[in-house]
Amino acid sequence: MNIPNASTVPNPNEYAGDEVSAIVLDPGYSTTRAGFAGEDVPKSVIPTYYGVLDSESGSEYLFGENAIHNPLRNLEIKNPWSTDGIVENWETATRVWEYAITSRLTGAKQTDPIKNGLNDPLNGDPDVEMEGLDDAEKPLTDSPLLMTEPGWSSTKAREKYIEIAMEDWGTPAFYLGKTGVLAAFAAGKASGIVIDIGASMTSVTPVIDGMVLKKGVQKSPLAGNFVSNQIRLIFNQSQPQIPLTPHYVVSSKTPVDAGVPSQAIYKTFEIPPTASFRRNEEERVLTEFKESVVETWAGPGRFSNGTNEELAKATPGRPFEMPDGWNQVFGVERFKAVEGLFDASAALFDAENPRPKDEQTIPRLVQAAMQHVDVDQRPAILAHVIVTGGSSLLYKFNERLNSELQAMFPAPRIRLIAPGNVVERKYGAWIGGSILASLGSFHQLWISKKEYEEHGPSIVEKRCK
Amino acid sequence: MATRRDVQDIMGLGGADTPKTSIQKRPKAAAPQKKLLGVNREVAALYGERPPPVAIYEQKKTYRAKRQNAGPAKKWIQQPFSNPARSDGLILKHWRRKPGPRLNPENGEDVIMEDVENQDPQVETEYEFAKYNVQVEVPSYTDEEYEAHLRSYDWSREETEYLLQMVKEYYYRWPLIYDRYDFRPSTTPSEPSSSAGGDTTTNNIKPDIDAPGTEDTPSKSLAMLPFVPPATRTIEDLKKRYYTLSATLMKLHTPETAMNPAEYSLYETLNSYDPEREAARKRLAVALMNRSADEINEEQWLLAELQRINMSATKLDTERAELRDRLEAPVPNPALAGGLAQFQTSQALAALFAQLFQQDRSKKRQSGSGRLSLSATDIIGTPTSAHHANNAQHLSGSSSNRKTSLAQPGGGSNLSQHPTRNLPPQLEHRFNVSTHDRLTSGISFGSDKLQKLRQAKSNVQTQKIAAVLAQLGFPEIMPIPTARVAGAFEGLVGRVGKLLDVRKVREKEEGELRILEAMKGKRAGDEGGPGGGEGDTEDKGVKVEVGEEGEGTQNDNENENGDGDGADNDNDEGGEDDDGDGDDDADADDGEEDADGDGENDDNDIDDDVEGEEVEGEGAEADSESARQPSEAMSSRTGTAAPSASASASHKRSASVLSGVSNKSNKRVKK
Repeated sequence: MNIPNASTVPNPNEYAGDEVSAIVLDPGYSTTRAGFAGEDVPKSVIPTYYGVLDSESGSEYLFGENAIHNPLRNLEIKNPWSTDGIVENWETATRVWEYAITSRLTGAKQTDPIKNGLNDPLNGDPDVEMEGLDDAEKPLTDSPLLMTEPGWSSTKAREKYIEIAMEDWGTPAFYLGKTGVLAAFAAGKASGIVIDIGASMTSVTPVIDGMVLKKGVQKSPLAGNFVSNQIRLIFNQSQPQIPLTPHYVVSSKTPVDAGVPSQAIYKTFEIPPTASFRRNEEERVLTEFKESVVETWAGPGRFSNGTNEELAKATPGRPFEMPDGWNQVFGVERFKAVEGLFDASAALFDAENPRPKDEQTIPRLVQAAMQHVDVDQRPAILAHVIVTGGSSLLYKFNERLNSELQAMFPAPRIRLIAPGNVVERKYGAWIGGSILASLGSFHQLWISKKEYEEHGPSIVEKRCK
Repeated sequence: MATRRDVQDIMGLGGADTPKTSIQKRPKAAAPQKKLLGVNREVAALYGERPPPVAIYEQKKTYRAKRQNAGPAKKWIQQPFSNPARSDGLILKHWRRKPGPRLNPENGEDVIMEDVENQDPQVETEYEFAKYNVQVEVPSYTDEEYEAHLRSYDWSREETEYLLQMVKEYYYRWPLIYDRYDFRPSTTPSEPSSSAGGDTTTNNIKPDIDAPGTEDTPSKSLAMLPFVPPATRTIEDLKKRYYTLSATLMKLHTPETAMNPAEYSLYETLNSYDPEREAARKRLAVALMNRSADEINEEQWLLAELQRINMSATKLDTERAELRDRLEAPVPNPALAGGLAQFQTSQALAALFAQLFQQDRSKKRQSGSGRLSLSATDIIGTPTSAHHANNAQHLSGSSSNRKTSLAQPGGGSNLSQHPTRNLPPQLEHRFNVSTHDRLTSGISFGSDKLQKLRQAKSNVQTQKIAAVLAQLGFPEIMPIPTARVAGAFEGLVGRVGKLLDVRKVREKEEGELRILEAMKGKRAGDEGGPGGGEGDTEDKGVKVEVGEEGEGTQNDNENENGDGDGADNDNDEGGEDDDGDGDDDADADDGEEDADGDGENDDNDIDDDVEGEEVEGEGAEADSESARQPSEAMSSRTGTAAPSASASASHKRSASVLSGVSNKSNKRVKK
């Protein structure tokens, strides 16, 4: 008899599971996550950024991690999402998502030998079979699809989702879940307030009994990309300016002392890659910087308050080395990049990056969201503050968030729920979707193809509440 | 290694028997001792003879059981199933064990196997999770019922139905219903949209009472105005509408009398929903939520304090009760009665307490706290302890005094947390806060202090004071002896004492005045002739008195004058002695006293003089009395130029009177 431990797969009967090989697709600004429901990690995580190669024969789209980091000439890196958390370019977004599904999950489908054309008689009429063939070529013909959407997506966007899933991908059943709800499910809670700090958007979603309080959903652009821009501003404003060199331009480097200009051999390009490519590559360096250097002032109080800055100065700095060998120990300035998320007045700004508004900071978002929660529910909601999203992995972020919330709501007990596991934090919504779509009792909620054909795309409003 | 056998060999002891016996013995000794498996030999040796207290189970090292080879690997198929909870017959597939091939002995197995593989598996129509598809029931009504009972002034039927649908859709989750509630009244097709004229949606709402005829009139919006529902409905509005509707329908379907208890209680609950009260409750809850951190800390501190007070109060009460039981217990042995009687005063109790405390302390050095746990902390906890003097702030009054003492048990760690505030004098007055001097140590009853206020030095004086107080309508014990009340009472008692003194002096002087007047009259009678009727009678009276001893006359006179209160002169004089300074106060004092004094002054001037003399002091008074009376006697002597026998007799009499007075004054002087 095997004793169940943390790594053994639970018996489906234990969690009322019934897996129908559904696919869960969790599109985001930075990455798109896809995988089979019932698994604990998305199998396919691809960058949402895509490359466009313009040539005489038309533009060629490149998807996936390997393609977009290749310094080809004329390679433009783009993102189908707009910066306010809504899909802007539906056509390419569909292709990116399809790539996420087909590249790792369903694969290129082997067509039936009867229909693959190889065995056709030369004089046969291929058109007769084409309709059936079309259906078979669609990527999702035998997997129900659960997609996630942000809490503020419009009716139009939701209808677009189901159209893509049904028409373009031919899924037999579809469901649209909100990221907030799914992240709460991933944390094992049906009620709570979900603070999701992603790449482009931070959202605060009150969830009650597995449903979003629509009026309470708050969003703001102060998220991971904002922190990156803050780091850029720190680099630009420091004296001397800190050079930000992406990996692809460096051929080889030699170690230098801290603060000394680098002595690296750079690659030469006949036609240097585009600015958007360079920016995307710089983002990777900044991500590394965020992961290893940037720190959140843990509180109590704001970083700019009184003696906190002095205290921070007393802590040892953290070294960082650029890809070209330039390196420096970052002291108190490493706190400044994140402070803008909590204290708009502490954010750095210039002409391109305007100063954020006070009501966009995370504590204010939570406050605004709580205003829409009935007072009877507030204590229960505040006892489940679920923190998710990749940017919430910033060092000491949760400590700060906790102290801010405690200061704001001194009366009720506040409990932050943030999984320590990096994967669970980054893919919270996907994991929630994976749980949901693998539940036996969930299968009655799917919108089937038949229902879609009957009622049209508007059914999504009625069914996915 | 040398075994025993080797030693035996060497020593030449080798017998054939001995090894045998040892061999026989050995298994016997080993048999009862069960060898523990899975425990190191060294560890097992540590157990010694006795078995370990915790049962040790041997865990045998086992390997996973070998896989049972039950034929070829079982096949799995994607079993299609349909969900009865769905209406559209969606067929999904899940992995299931392939059902085993039906063995048919007549046909070859291979054929059937192939058949099964090629067949599409049967679609399962039963689904185990379909049972979780539970719908809620919402009340339903007919048109007649709605028209007759359910019409509302601010709810259209359309909106009511929308509400019911929302309730059903969101399973009575009111926060969600409220969140998603977005009623958009549908515009009736008969109504042209142009007639509204770019209006808001509220104009298109068709309320119940709206008559169809008025639809097209220009005053349509005016007519509907009272019935336009509020732009936003609160969650209380929604609940109220739904609950009243449910209650009405319940009542319609089952009359109240026919309801079973559960139904009736539900009906009651539905009917008793009060949106205003609910809203008020929520406002309060919001206020509670929005307390500042300081308020919360204060509340927590107060709660902790309250808990502590309660705990120590019960402790203290039990200890006090124990002590009281001890003190009040009836003495079974009369021989011991005298022993207990000595503890009836508070001073004696204090002494006893101190003694016990000393004993206890010396005992405590050896052992823990005794039965009568009079430890140092307890003493500090008792209200009469001297500890309070250390603390700057105290509440006044005995009851609050106790609270203060309880609030600082031990005076140690928690004392520092106590937020001391310095109140301005007005607030101190308002909240009745006062600071005490150092209290005397030891046990005393608060009621003793109250009694003490009423007591004078002498019992007679005390009784007099009590009589006056009773006349004024004071109860025996002050109901609420606060500091201020006690202070006022103390002042009052002091004044009563002074008043009594003054009255006594007045009476005495009146008495003397009467004697002197009698003497004067006598003398005048003597001079006028022995035939004076009045003088005669007086003379006779006096004569009669004279016939007795001097002391006796004096006493009689006093008795006549003093209304019975001058029965014992000694006591009176004692009282006078002590009250000398009190008199000074009385003269310097205010209203009542003066008024009384004036009244007396009006009565007779002599009294006034006397009082003036008395202020100077006892000795002076005595001197003046003795000095004046001889002088008057002298004057009367000088007045009577020709002393006669009667005159001499009267003189004698007066002398005897004088001697009486002088005796008295002498006594005073002696004192």
